Order: sequence, then C-alpha cells, then structure tokens
Amino acid sequence: MFWTGLTPDEAREALVNKDKSMRDKRMTLKEAVSKFVKDGDNVGIGGFVNVRQPIATIHEMIRQGYKDLTLSWQSAGMGPELLAGAMIARPDHCSIKRIELAYWGHEAYGLSSAWRYLAERNMVEIEDWSNYNMSARFKAGAMGLPFIPSRGPLGGDIKNTSRTKIIDCPFTQRPIALLPASHPNVALIHVQAADMYGNSIIRGSDATCAEIAMAAKHTIITCEQLVSHDLITSAPKDVGIPFPAVDAVVEVPYGAFPGACRRHYYFGGDDIRSFLGLIAPMCKGGSADALKAWFDEYVFGVASFEEYLAKLPLKRLMDARAGESCAIERLA
Amino acid sequence: MTASTDYTAQEIIVVAGSKVLEDNKIVFVGTGLPMVASLLAIRTHAPGLIPVFEAGAVGPPLKCGLPLSVGDSKTFTGASYVKGLNAAFELTQRGFADYGFIGGAEVDMYGNLNSTMIGDFPDGYQKPKVRLPGSGGAADMAASCERTILIVPHDKKKFNAKLAYVTSPGHLDGSPNARFKAGMQGKGPYRVITTKGVFDFEEESKRMRILHTFPGETVDSIKENTGFELLVAPNVSEMAPPTVEEVRLIREEIDPTGAFVKRVAK
Repeated sequence: MFWTGLTPDEAREALVNKDKSMRDKRMTLKEAVSKFVKDGDNVGIGGFVNVRQPIATIHEMIRQGYKDLTLSWQSAGMGPELLAGAMIARPDHCSIKRIELAYWGHEAYGLSSAWRYLAERNMVEIEDWSNYNMSARFKAGAMGLPFIPSRGPLGGDIKNTSRTKIIDCPFTQRPIALLPASHPNVALIHVQAADMYGNSIIRGSDATCAEIAMAAKHTIITCEQLVSHDLITSAPKDVGIPFPAVDAVVEVPYGAFPGACRRHYYFGGDDIRSFLGLIAPMCKGGSADALKAWFDEYVFGVASFEEYLAKLPLKRLMDARAGESCAIERLA
Repeated sequence: MTASTDYTAQEIIVVAGSKVLEDNKIVFVGTGLPMVASLLAIRTHAPGLIPVFEAGAVGPPLKCGLPLSVGDSKTFTGASYVKGLNAAFELTQRGFADYGFIGGAEVDMYGNLNSTMIGDFPDGYQKPKVRLPGSGGAADMAASCERTILIVPHDKKKFNAKLAYVTSPGHLDGSPNARFKAGMQGKGPYRVITTKGVFDFEEESKRMRILHTFPGETVDSIKENTGFELLVAPNVSEMAPPTVEEVRLIREEIDPTGAFVKRVAK
C-alpha cells in the first residue's frame, strides 16, 4: 500500500461528506480522542520539536490505548517520546507501527532515548524525510494535490529510503524530487487561542500546523485559551486554522507542557530531562520499572491532564511561565 | 585583544564559526553550536548578520538570549517576518539564504554529512546500530542554501571515507558539476569547522583541505585524526586563539548556562 494515511481521493471524499457547519465543537479531551483517534490511524503531530507539541491529547491517547499507529511529523520531541514510552512500558496497551519524520530529539535537552530504543530494536517501520520534505508533504495534502515538487531529497540517501520519485522536470529538464502528499486520519494541534467553532490563532512558529490540519481527515484542537468568536475575528488574518478544518476544541492550559508555548510558558527543561532519564538506561538493557511507575502515577493513575498538572510542584509551572516572560514583555 | 589561554574545544569552534560569517548576509542557522557562533558574530564583527530559523523566524535581534531550539520563542521576539517551516524553506529554495550553518555526526571528504544512522546501509536501515535524530532541516539547507558551513567535532571515526548514510548532500562524489546534475542549487559546502581546524574544499576535486590549524595542532596531527586523505591548502596558517573577550562573551553573555557550549572539552 503506497498511501499511509488517506489517499488523495479518499481525503477529498471525506471532506465532501463532512459537516462543515459553524457549530459548537467544545468537548472533553476524553470525548475528542475516543471519537476521532482510531487504531491503525495515521496521526499527524503538530508543533515543532518541543514547541506546541499536543502533549495533553497524547496523555489522553495513552490512557485510552492505541494500536498500530502511523505517526507523521517534521521535528518532534516529547509528543512521540511519551507515545513511544507508553509502547515500551505497556506494549499490550499501546503500539506504534510506523514513523514518517525528519527529526526526533530534544535539541538542547538531548537525544531521544525512545527513538534509539525503538529503532535499534527494529520495533517500528521508519521513513526518513527532511523538515521541508514533511512540511511540503502536508502542504500538498492541504493544497489538494497528490504530490509537490521539491529539491530537499536530491543528492543524498533520503530519496533511497522514502517514497520520493526523482523525475526530469518537464520544463527545465533538470532533476526534481516529487514528494507524495500526506493526509493523516487525524491531526493533533495545540494552539494559543481558539473559539468554540475551532478558529485558531497561533503565536510564534506556525510550525506546519495549519497544513497538517487542512490535510487531515479530522483535527483535534487544544488551546491555552478559549475565547469568544468576536475576539478571534477582530483580527481575522491572525486565524491560522479555519473552523471547517476542526472537529473538536478543548481548552487545556499548559497543554503543551513540558514543551513550550509562546506567550504562556517556556520549556520545562527539568521535566523533559527527567522523562528522558527514565528510558535512557533501558537502551542499555535496564529495567522498565521506573518508566512504568511514571505512567502509572501521571497518566494511568489520573483521569485527566489537569490532574497530572496538579501533581507537579507549582514552582515548576511558575518557572516555565517566568522563563517565557523575558521573551514576551507585555502589560497584563 | 589579549589571547585567551583558557578555552575549550567547543569554544574555539564557536569563535572560528563566527569568523566565517560575513556581516549583512542571511544565514540559515541550525540548532546547537551554529546558534552560539551566529550570536557571537552579531556581538563582534557582524552586527548586521540576519539569522533565519527554520521554524519560521526571519531576522530576530535575539535580545532575549540564546535560543534553546530553532523554534524557540526567543527567535520570534522582534523578528521581521514570522511564519512556519514551509515559508522558511521556501525562502531558502528561492535563494534568500547566503549561508546555511549545520552540523552532523559524520562527514566525508566531499562535505557530505550523516545525521541519520550508524550501521549497515541499506540492509540495516530499519535496524541501525545507532539511530541518530535524523535530518531535521539540514538536508534542505544542504540542498538549497548558496553555501553551507559545517560543524563536526574532529574524530577519526567521524571523518570517514564512506558514510553510513548521506543525510545532507555536500559535493556528492566530487565529480564536475555533481550538485547541478543532481538537481540541487547552491555551491555546496564552503567551510568545515572542527575541534582541530578550519577546512575548505579544493576547487577542482571538491576535496576537503586544511586551511587553518588550531593552536596545538599541526597538519600532521590533523591528518592522523582523519579517516580519509586530507588535502593541504597552499598557505596553511595557524588560527589565532580566541581572545579573552570572545571567551568571556560566550561564557558570560551568550551561553551562560552551558546549554550548547559545554565547559569540559570532549
């Protein structure tokens, strides 16, 4: 099977048949995940490395369990780290089949332990791309085209380990790479603000969130702040993701923590490092006990992301907030 | 400009990297040491340098300090243009980026970089011996920036005749016009900065050659620690050590927490 999410024709058909009305889409994260994430899905993960990763939605997915997922993103950090950590700790409950990606790591906070663990044991199928390749693949999906030309994969081995096709450009006669569109079954996107219809405003890096949401069959939006439709539309050009592309809206403050969310909080570096430290010893044959205990306490032992946050020392959340205040000074 | 006698291998990389950057040019900055080097260049000889970060920030003044990610909020404050990944890479593909500044785990004599995997390729691709993070934006910068500057810690095992995987293409096999024939843009690798020296590429063969040795290194000591045959530029010179002021800027102002520049030399 060439397509790992929806085919371009299936994606078109899904949108034709979708209720695109401007209706109240607020629901709990529990409802949103059980309604829109299915076993075997291709899940598009928003954000960039540890910026605006959909962490709250991922906690809920782990609680509910999932099987045989394909994960698609450009660069990611804690989102897949948690999903893969759950697969390592509870393979009966959570499993990932395939990963299409450009980068999995944590930049200043270190390498991904879970990525090494899964790849070096051949526990997932891998398809390497670059950041622009993955972003352009989502863009092709969002544009309603089956492929997009790019120069990204020319020259190196990415073209040899992916579904890239190199052709001679019919106009210049020079080689050009064609990348297949990506249409995830569901997009998980965390944003700064949204209204109840799903109109979403993103601050700082847009990452590839709008493209993933527009390409996917369904989109779950979590937001720091749920605001009125009047406020959202007071600057309509700020709306990055329009309501017809959204299926669920959930207000989850700190929903990207321990990743960062511009204007709200900076990276929770200690939390990122301590989670990586649970998996790192397992790459060398260490026990899974500490990892299992973490999931038991913070994910399986609570009913919601809010309950997980309530278990963290307030100082850590305050520090993350203070860390962001130097980047964005403003009056309350 | 007092020469420092107390600096680490990473600090001299940062100083050498900053000196390669020209004022008033656009540089597409990868994560890690390239960010520190770009900030040092802005604080010293290149106040008009325009950094672009792949998550979508163009030309930020970086007054809030060192970003810990190329998507860091600090890269967006005061930026002239703020979008996402597609927009940033499209700028590069169009030709707006004079330099791309990238790293990798392994490099060959033509400046091709590997940041994907160590192990058997292609047979072991799905079960690598060591899985590395992956390209990120490096392959895109390598394919489309006008010139690229590479940072790789110098180690015989990392300077290899044959890479396990070519993530970010350089001068490919060094054959005439190889990049153009493959469909790529730009002139490819321009400089390599390592813990032992600064390297360029001989014009005809596109092979890496020693341009500057760092204090304490010689042409022979560098050759001994390289897994392929290095060429030697006609006028190899020793690079001056970092100044006390450069080291102070790195330690006290640019990376005071040691996020990327570790205090202990590796």
